[in-house]
Amino acid sequence: MNTAPILQIEDIHKDYGTYQALKGVSLSVRQGEFIALVGPSGCGKTTLLKQIAGFEDATSGRISIDGRDMAGVPAAQRPTSIVFQKLALFPHMTVAENIGFPLKLRKVVPAEIAARVNEMIALMELKPIYLDRLPRALSGGEQQRVALARSMISSPKLLLLDEPLSALDVKLKKVLQSELKRLHRSVGVTFVHVTHDLEEAMMLADRICVMRAGHILQLGEPADIYYRPADAFVAGFIGETNLLPVEITRRGKDRVEYRGTGIADETGAIPVRFIADQVGTGQALMNVRPELIRRIGPGDKAECSMNAQVTEIFTKGGTVQYRAHTPEGYDLAIEIQGTSDLPMRVGEDVRLGWAKKDIWVLPAGAA
Amino acid sequence: MDHSVSRNWRDPELLLKALPSVLLQTTCFIAPLLMTFLLTFQRTRDFQLRWTWDLATWTDVFTKPHYWTILGHTLVMAAACVAISMVIAFPIAYGLSTRFKRWENEIKILITFAFITDATLKTFGWVLFLDKKGAANFLLAGLGLPPESVAFLFTDWATLLGMVYNLLPFAIFTLYLSIDNIDRNLILAAYDAGAGKWRAHWEVTLPLCKPGIWAGSVLIFLLGVGVFLEPKVLGGGTSPMSAELIRQTFETRVNWPLGAALTLVLMTVSVFLVLLFTRLLNMKRAGASA
Repeated sequence: MNTAPILQIEDIHKDYGTYQALKGVSLSVRQGEFIALVGPSGCGKTTLLKQIAGFEDATSGRISIDGRDMAGVPAAQRPTSIVFQKLALFPHMTVAENIGFPLKLRKVVPAEIAARVNEMIALMELKPIYLDRLPRALSGGEQQRVALARSMISSPKLLLLDEPLSALDVKLKKVLQSELKRLHRSVGVTFVHVTHDLEEAMMLADRICVMRAGHILQLGEPADIYYRPADAFVAGFIGETNLLPVEITRRGKDRVEYRGTGIADETGAIPVRFIADQVGTGQALMNVRPELIRRIGPGDKAECSMNAQVTEIFTKGGTVQYRAHTPEGYDLAIEIQGTSDLPMRVGEDVRLGWAKKDIWVLPAGAA
Repeated sequence: MDHSVSRNWRDPELLLKALPSVLLQTTCFIAPLLMTFLLTFQRTRDFQLRWTWDLATWTDVFTKPHYWTILGHTLVMAAACVAISMVIAFPIAYGLSTRFKRWENEIKILITFAFITDATLKTFGWVLFLDKKGAANFLLAGLGLPPESVAFLFTDWATLLGMVYNLLPFAIFTLYLSIDNIDRNLILAAYDAGAGKWRAHWEVTLPLCKPGIWAGSVLIFLLGVGVFLEPKVLGGGTSPMSAELIRQTFETRVNWPLGAALTLVLMTVSVFLVLLFTRLLNMKRAGASA
């Protein structure tokens, strides 16, 4: 696999008047990668996508695609293709004309356009009878496939997706998500997918880039982002979690010593590989995902444990979510298999525990 | 559409609901038209209308080429007015919904004010401007050009100028509405697909504002066919247009039957042309998508 970066973004700034949408973003995407840009609205993810597509010029910084500097290159001449949130299919053109439009602009002969359009609709699993219809006669999911076909027909080096699945209902969304994944695998094109749906990003992307207020907070594989978030914001944005304040008393070479209110720990130390690099001595947060916490029965032991009283129960199907209140005033979220031998009841006093390997200690503040 | 609603003509509820509209149409539109039609079969003598019921007026209309020359001239002028207005209005409307979006409201207010100022006033304003000793020639002479460089007052060109000037807001506003309705992302999608500015314009913007272009054209054509102020004031009455001919026939010659007949001819021809072009355009569209 070729690992040279297909997309290189260096220190991009974008100001709209006095508002800074991007405050120095750098990112390198490998050929064939599926990368997701995620973050809350206003984090700059769509702005970044517009810079890559060439719809807007950056205030400063550099974007190169396949080693070529894109400064001053208009959208029409970039080897990128975008799928818009609202698809932007041309309402006055038939499905075939829509899909073939990029080739028509490249002066490809009609016979070849028709052949390529047929290839694309086969790839997108669209019915050939749709070709002569106008886009509005198609369902939402079918329109989505037409938009993808139009974007893929010119064989772009980068396919940019601007939340194209956000308007669909949950069931259709699932179908198209697996479709996207399949498409990505089969064509080997690099995908840059903007979404605010974390679950979607986790499912699809090779790497996730979490953005907030014009900065990249963390870039990494889905598991990294989920289990080893860079800070409290990423931890909270990516699914539910428990963040317990702890105090790091000493940072050693391969373990740190800590104190946490109410946390019972036999050794009072955590191996250094479960601690974010930025954490020094002083205040920090211990991140434990709800599904990694379990109930400790009598005679059972856990590396870390806490006493708590169960306050709420939510049955989610295969798993059950609990809320528990500790005497120190923390509210813990716990997720346990529905078939657990140790179910909990509301009002019950329980002992909750987790393993050292399931801990991730991250810097305090910045939430 | 709700298919449970009965479309039967004999449905009493439907008839009752349609009654106000039918009454309004009949009293305000169909009845006057019918009276105009009946008027054409009468004669006037000694400034009095005689109920004669003959075809003298129609014979007159269909035998004198003079009326038809004027009608042809009117149609050509109206068509020219449509073409020029559209060419001028398109960039204005486009700019209004894109580049000058920030001052959109201010510009619209200015256009509206110019528009609602009395047309007579504005038309006479052009006379002052275009006159031999008018503002235009004064300015050009000041720039060192020979005297009376602007000498097209009281020609068809001056009439056309006045028509375009007075009817332009209709073109601007109809075009503006259809351009403003185009999803900006469609243009971006065209760029993204590899289209340059002009190509995107040609392939996406223009086809999508076709309805606006068509609506504006019909409006201006029908209004242009009916102008009488501009040919009289700016054209100097040298080559009259249909509306002026009709006015003269009614007022000066007091020949109401002839005036009514000329009115009907003008209406019929105009409406026929509009329908013909609509049909041709639809046929082209159907042919293109087939």
